Amino acid sequence: MSDENKSCCNTPAGEPTATRSAAPMWIIVVTLALLFTGGLYLDNHGGWFNSKVYAPYKSVDQLEAFQPKSGAAAVAAQGKKVYEAVCGICHGVDGAGKPGQAPPLAGSEWVITKGDSRLAHIPLQGLSGAITVEGKQWNLNMAAMGAALSDSDLAAVLTYMRTSWGNKAGEVSVDDVKKARDAIGGHAQPMSGDQMSKMPE
Amino acid sequence: MKTGFSVFLACFVALGASWYGFVYGPLKQLGVEQQTVILQSTDNWPQQRTGEATLGLQVYRQYGCAACHTEQVRQTGAANELDVLTLGTHNAEDFKGFMKSLLVVPELMTSSNDIVANLDKWNGQLPLVLYYGQNADAVSALAEKLKPVGVKTDARVVAVGPDIARGWGTRQSVAADYLYDQPVQLGSLRAGPDLTTIGVREPDVNWQLLHLYAPNCVVPNSTMPPFHNLFEVRKKVNGQVSPDALPLPKGFALGDDMEVVPTTEARQLVAYLLTLKNNAPLYEAPFTPVTAAK
Amino acid sequence: MNQTGNNTVCSSEIDASCRVPLLALFGGAALWLVLGILLGLAAAMSFHKPDLFANCACLSFGHAQAAANDLVLYGFIIPAALGVILWIFARLSQAPLALPIVPVAAANIWHLGVLVGTVSILLGHSTGHTWLEYPRIAAVLLFAAFMLVAVSAVATMGFRSNREMYPSHWFLFAGLLWFVWTYSSANLFLLSGQPPRGVVQAIIAWWFSNNMIFVWLALVGVGIAFYLLPKFANKPLANTGYAIFGFLTLIFFGTWCGIPHGAPVPAWLPTTSAFAAMLTILPIIALAIVAGKTVCGSGFSLCAGPFCFVKFGTMSFVVSALLYVAEFCPHGARVLDFTWFSVGVTQWQLFGFAGMILTGAIYEILPRMMDKALPLPLLAKLNFVTFVLGTTIYVIPLLIGGYEQGLKLQDPSVAFADASGAALMFLRASTLGQALLLLGSLCLLLNVFVMTLQWKRGLLSCALSAVKAPLSGGEVKP
Repeated sequence: MSDENKSCCNTPAGEPTATRSAAPMWIIVVTLALLFTGGLYLDNHGGWFNSKVYAPYKSVDQLEAFQPKSGAAAVAAQGKKVYEAVCGICHGVDGAGKPGQAPPLAGSEWVITKGDSRLAHIPLQGLSGAITVEGKQWNLNMAAMGAALSDSDLAAVLTYMRTSWGNKAGEVSVDDVKKARDAIGGHAQPMSGDQMSKMPE
Repeated sequence: MKTGFSVFLACFVALGASWYGFVYGPLKQLGVEQQTVILQSTDNWPQQRTGEATLGLQVYRQYGCAACHTEQVRQTGAANELDVLTLGTHNAEDFKGFMKSLLVVPELMTSSNDIVANLDKWNGQLPLVLYYGQNADAVSALAEKLKPVGVKTDARVVAVGPDIARGWGTRQSVAADYLYDQPVQLGSLRAGPDLTTIGVREPDVNWQLLHLYAPNCVVPNSTMPPFHNLFEVRKKVNGQVSPDALPLPKGFALGDDMEVVPTTEARQLVAYLLTLKNNAPLYEAPFTPVTAAK
Repeated sequence: MNQTGNNTVCSSEIDASCRVPLLALFGGAALWLVLGILLGLAAAMSFHKPDLFANCACLSFGHAQAAANDLVLYGFIIPAALGVILWIFARLSQAPLALPIVPVAAANIWHLGVLVGTVSILLGHSTGHTWLEYPRIAAVLLFAAFMLVAVSAVATMGFRSNREMYPSHWFLFAGLLWFVWTYSSANLFLLSGQPPRGVVQAIIAWWFSNNMIFVWLALVGVGIAFYLLPKFANKPLANTGYAIFGFLTLIFFGTWCGIPHGAPVPAWLPTTSAFAAMLTILPIIALAIVAGKTVCGSGFSLCAGPFCFVKFGTMSFVVSALLYVAEFCPHGARVLDFTWFSVGVTQWQLFGFAGMILTGAIYEILPRMMDKALPLPLLAKLNFVTFVLGTTIYVIPLLIGGYEQGLKLQDPSVAFADASGAALMFLRASTLGQALLLLGSLCLLLNVFVMTLQWKRGLLSCALSAVKAPLSGGEVKP
């Protein structure tokens, strides 16, 4: 090709050059400030990278608070709350009991009964004297800790005991608790282990 | 002053980081998801689609439906709600007074203004929405207090948001909903309504087929194009209308001896659309389903 | 400096070495642009007369819009950008294009891939993923072609005598790497035999779409602008400190945008994107400062030449990028998600930013390369006017209509038909903008084709006289 330019187009003055300069300080500072603010935002709304937390929920705790509480889940939640407030102090949060204070509930044959009616009598009347629990002898006094609880609270906590720590037994319904209360009548007397074993489950 | 290698390194690190965060990360976190369980039930979610509906998803993809329709519902919040269903031995007026007397307990103090406002504007009809807000403890405290006096209540969790209020779903869409979608057709434009729960909103097969053939006959002034490719216009056999011919209304009918019959593709597409229900509560998107009236 | 000494190569030689590859790339690109805008018009018809394509599903909105968008991106923007990158690298290296046959072959492979992809979409074989609708065959062809061009470009860059890199080098080199990694990764995951399950597909598609439409376009567009603006303004590029900062923050932060706010994915994904989007405002401002300082004083005369194309394009970059970033802000996203607003922003990025800069670059390169003036300079001026007007009339109504639609969708008492009806008038108005864009793209196509024809005719007559000369015993007269 001919090198004689049809110089309709301007010959370039040369390739562009760049002036050297440093990045200005203000933009670095603004970047750091935005990084900080953004980090706070990520902390608040990111759900800690949990795969179950979707916006608008901000954390697993918030998600838990909005789980519907009805049915079995609600009863379990209620029972757990009552247990930890009332019974767990002596019987232990894990139901293992404390020597010299209270026998275990986990694996206890008095808790895991086929029937639903006897268990309610224990918290409603109290226990006094000797009783064998899981092969061990216990000789303590238990006050009627459940007498002040409402029917639904008592039913929930008994159901909780029967379904926790490896225990597998049926629920105790509000009706069962009512029947037990009616049977006891006005003056509740603490039972002994012998008396208990004679009651139908 | 930069060398080619330093530019390459910077790009490699930058893009590598976002690849790790947005490709590899989700692959490990969400790509291994299995079916999950519906809240308070033993059923799995999502259900696998039938063969016809799976083919229908391919028809959806082929026709580019995702260009105008989305399949994702958003939620801006959640609320705890307590409904009063029966009043026990009270009538409306003394129930109000009774309720206000209960509000002095500590766990109800923070919500008492809301509850009083709801009571004041209550017209006496049941069910009464006694509390609607963010405080789950207030709901359980109220339910506990009202149970002994024979007042029947229903504690519910409801999803909140414009999409929900519009009736496009009862909860937001989550990753579990798309587990068996290949390809996922989330959509990015709402030139047409959202389709996440179209199987619940328009469960009639004929409505769906008519909408595909002549959108204007079921949605007036619709800008959706008709898809005549999905249908076959043919002469009636012996003058008899075939059982699967479309029941075209007046003004859209084609003449006395012609009928419109959907092709297999149309049936597959409608089968797919009718599987779009998304009405099961999950752990990550909880809500209390509305049970049938007792 | 050109022609400073006997051992430096003069610019006309460099330009001539780019001739065949760039004509192959630009010719195809100009054709695909016209076809893309035509298909876009067909798609827009859906909102004027919905039953226009009732019996021809291949031109219905779903098919036509996807094919149109892909034609503009893969058919016009990427090949045109590759051509400009090759020329800029050759010029900056003060050396002729390395391995010139490679980009010629690559251009043909690329255009074949675009053809296969477009036909597949229209026939209903789209993959269903936005911006990745081309089936496997087309994707492989495109990737192979890009790699070939990238090899030639990197080789050219490697041959530079002045070892210090000019800012455009960083941006354009980064652009080459960006496409290679994101395109291969996205296609390998999404179009493989065993794609990831469920919503992960959407996340990967969003990652790709952000890195392509936002980051890649920004890298390439700004890289080209940083070369052309100082050249046109006859000043050095101002404030490279801001340029380095802008480059680094763009690649480190910009790549993390992309996940929409209301997406059905765990909260950490859209939150990270919103965080990144907020930070991405910084590179946009920094790069705007560099561009602004470089051209300041040159004014905005109605010269309608390549300089004006690039200036308008750079200004479009700043505004469209800021709007893009605003889409990820949670408050904005609630209203603007799923509306025509995001369509408007994307089209602004494609036409207003990338389209303008690339068209300006083509008009600058063609005369230098072919050693001839533009054959239809009036059409080139018309091109500028129609592109500016067309982009404005196309994009602004979409943005406004989208915002109106979004506001109405937020109010559950407004029926859906009313909400989408609110945008309909704006949609119809924007079609005029598309028609103007079509007119402008025809001007570009005519210029490129006529120039190519003239060159080929010149070659032919040269060859003929070379054949005739020994027969007539005279000198070769070209």
